[in-house]
Amino acid sequence: MKKTLTAAGLVAASFAFAAAASAGTVLDKVKSSGVVVCGVNTAAPGFSNADSQGNWTGLDVDYCRALAAAVLGDATKVKFVPLNSPQRFSALQAGEIDVLARNTTWNLTRDASLGAVFVGTNYYDGQGFLVPKKLNVKSAKQLNGATICVQSGTSSEPSVADYFKSNNMKYKAVVFDTTEATQGAFLSGRCQVYTTDMSDLAGARTKAANPDDYIILPEVISKEPLGPAVRRGDNEWFQIARWVLNAMIEAEEKGITSANVDELRKTSTDPNVKRLTGAGDDTGKLLGLDKDWSYRIVKQVGNYGESFEKNLGPKTPLALPRGINNQWTNGGILYAPPVR
Amino acid sequence: MNRHGDEAFHRREKSRKKKAFIWQFILLAALLVIFGSFAFNISSNLVARNIHSGFGFLSESAGFELGESLISFSSTESYGRAFLAGLLNTIRVAAVSIITATVLGIIVGLMRLSKHPLLKFLGAAHVEFYRNIPLIVQLLLIYLLITELLPDSTEALHFGSWALLSKAGLQYAVPTDFHAAAAASAVSAILCFIFCRRTFIKTYTGLISSTLALGCALLAGGAVWFAAGIIFGWSKPELQGFAIEGGSSLSPEFLALWIGLTLFTSSAIAEIIRAGVLAVPKGQWNAALSLGMTQMETVSYVIFPQALKLAVPPLASQYMNLTKNSSLAVVVGYPDLVSIGNSTINLNGQALEVIVIIMSVYLVLNLIISVLMNKVNALVTRGAR
Repeated sequence: MKKTLTAAGLVAASFAFAAAASAGTVLDKVKSSGVVVCGVNTAAPGFSNADSQGNWTGLDVDYCRALAAAVLGDATKVKFVPLNSPQRFSALQAGEIDVLARNTTWNLTRDASLGAVFVGTNYYDGQGFLVPKKLNVKSAKQLNGATICVQSGTSSEPSVADYFKSNNMKYKAVVFDTTEATQGAFLSGRCQVYTTDMSDLAGARTKAANPDDYIILPEVISKEPLGPAVRRGDNEWFQIARWVLNAMIEAEEKGITSANVDELRKTSTDPNVKRLTGAGDDTGKLLGLDKDWSYRIVKQVGNYGESFEKNLGPKTPLALPRGINNQWTNGGILYAPPVR
Repeated sequence: MNRHGDEAFHRREKSRKKKAFIWQFILLAALLVIFGSFAFNISSNLVARNIHSGFGFLSESAGFELGESLISFSSTESYGRAFLAGLLNTIRVAAVSIITATVLGIIVGLMRLSKHPLLKFLGAAHVEFYRNIPLIVQLLLIYLLITELLPDSTEALHFGSWALLSKAGLQYAVPTDFHAAAAASAVSAILCFIFCRRTFIKTYTGLISSTLALGCALLAGGAVWFAAGIIFGWSKPELQGFAIEGGSSLSPEFLALWIGLTLFTSSAIAEIIRAGVLAVPKGQWNAALSLGMTQMETVSYVIFPQALKLAVPPLASQYMNLTKNSSLAVVVGYPDLVSIGNSTINLNGQALEVIVIIMSVYLVLNLIISVLMNKVNALVTRGAR
């Protein structure tokens, strides 16, 4: 009787302790586990895609690697967790991933009520429509009555509803929960139209047996600034995530590439360049990192322009133009706050 | 101390009750601590992430469209109405699948019990194939077949001008005033069933009179349907622009789910029917046949009533399984309750409330099935009167 009572008491006490324990900060957890857990897309060519050997490439993948290089010193110390649209915010809220870099649109509802905060924009996009050429449609305004494939849990779902409502048109929605199912249904002909961000449309077209049979309609029906997000409540980790993105963008603005970063570190006299290459003031200390955080980002991963070129540039199947995703000094709207 | 007699007994009882009370109190306190700590953990995490709670979101506008729904729905309507549409979609596919799965299951079960080797083999093949492959794989396969192999809506397969089969589903002609015609046929079918069964039961057994009455009811319903069409005109499906307008339609998602659920559950129901019939002692067959009854008479007068007693409770759980399995609709794109819940969670982040709604709805649906089947069970186990 006594033994059972003491055992029961210990079990109850352990529950109390478990409830009281706090999660700790994300930076501590990342440093002690030695790996950054990054939530990415299951298959988004150009943003996060794994090849047949399991190697991940993409714009969001490069961001995660930059984060690992800045915090842990090694860009390879990343664990990629593929997530589909309905799971992504739950995984972030629950703490299963440290950062969500999954070409996710930044909007008010997500920033304010889903338990996430966005660190910035790494690709300014818009939503469009992909149709087969044999439909003979030149503009989105001719799509009254069409069947549209859209993915559940994306910002595309409400945007297309708003667009059709404001243009007094009707449509039939066929909604799936994975990208593969949605694109598969479109490519098999179940739906006549596929709608999602323009960058995703370009990626979907590359998966068709004959990409030339499809055309992206000219209308851009919404703003979709895609960017990484972290969990709300940890300001330190939020600052690190935000400034890693800003450092990548500013490095391109200042002309620092992975090829010339070593040389510039030794020979440059520009204080901004010296700071970014780790030869000037220590900005890392203020973030909780060491002095070479931005140097490692450019050396091991590259600046924003190099990442864009490698994943979305003219030599890739997507071949997306820089467009507004160019530096403000070059006609685009990428304007990173100064790293100083 | 006196260990025997009434006094000792009462003393022992008192101390036993006291110990029992203490143990139950400790257990209750432990449960309260566990649940309390869960609740506290959840609410403090929700506050830290700034996620709202409460069911107020049900009156906000949904912002998404549904592929199909029995009630009218547009993106400006509320989440509550979206959930109602999803619930009706779930009930629609579950009810239809239960009926077809039972019919197919009984046929396959009887096939397995027959003496012809080919029928027996086909029955066994059906059961083993559909029972052993996971339902989600079957659904994806059927959906793939429908969307890949059927022609585009611009080149649909015609059945005269009455029906079109294409990737956009099965479109069929209906009388112009669809709801009135459907209500009229349903009412006439039910009345015919009741009337015919009363007439047939005077000459035949319960089973045969029910089957004959069902046949008459279907004929009556069909006759009223066609009459409505002829009198008021038909709404025939035609290709206009992209979409096929007119008539009524069964979407490929609904078809895939219906066929998948029917085939999968029919294999389980076939086994239940077979178990019920095999459980009737062999002596019953021998006695009935030795009395000069034919195979048919034996089955309907002697075997089937006894087999039903054993078969009805497992049938109830198969129906509940079917209802729960219909939540796989989200992988084929059918807008059922879970699919709409998914969309809602992603638009407003309130996963907890939505999942509670979904769980309660499924619980209520299955309780209704359970109550109905218990009544059926009471009917068949009434015994000799």
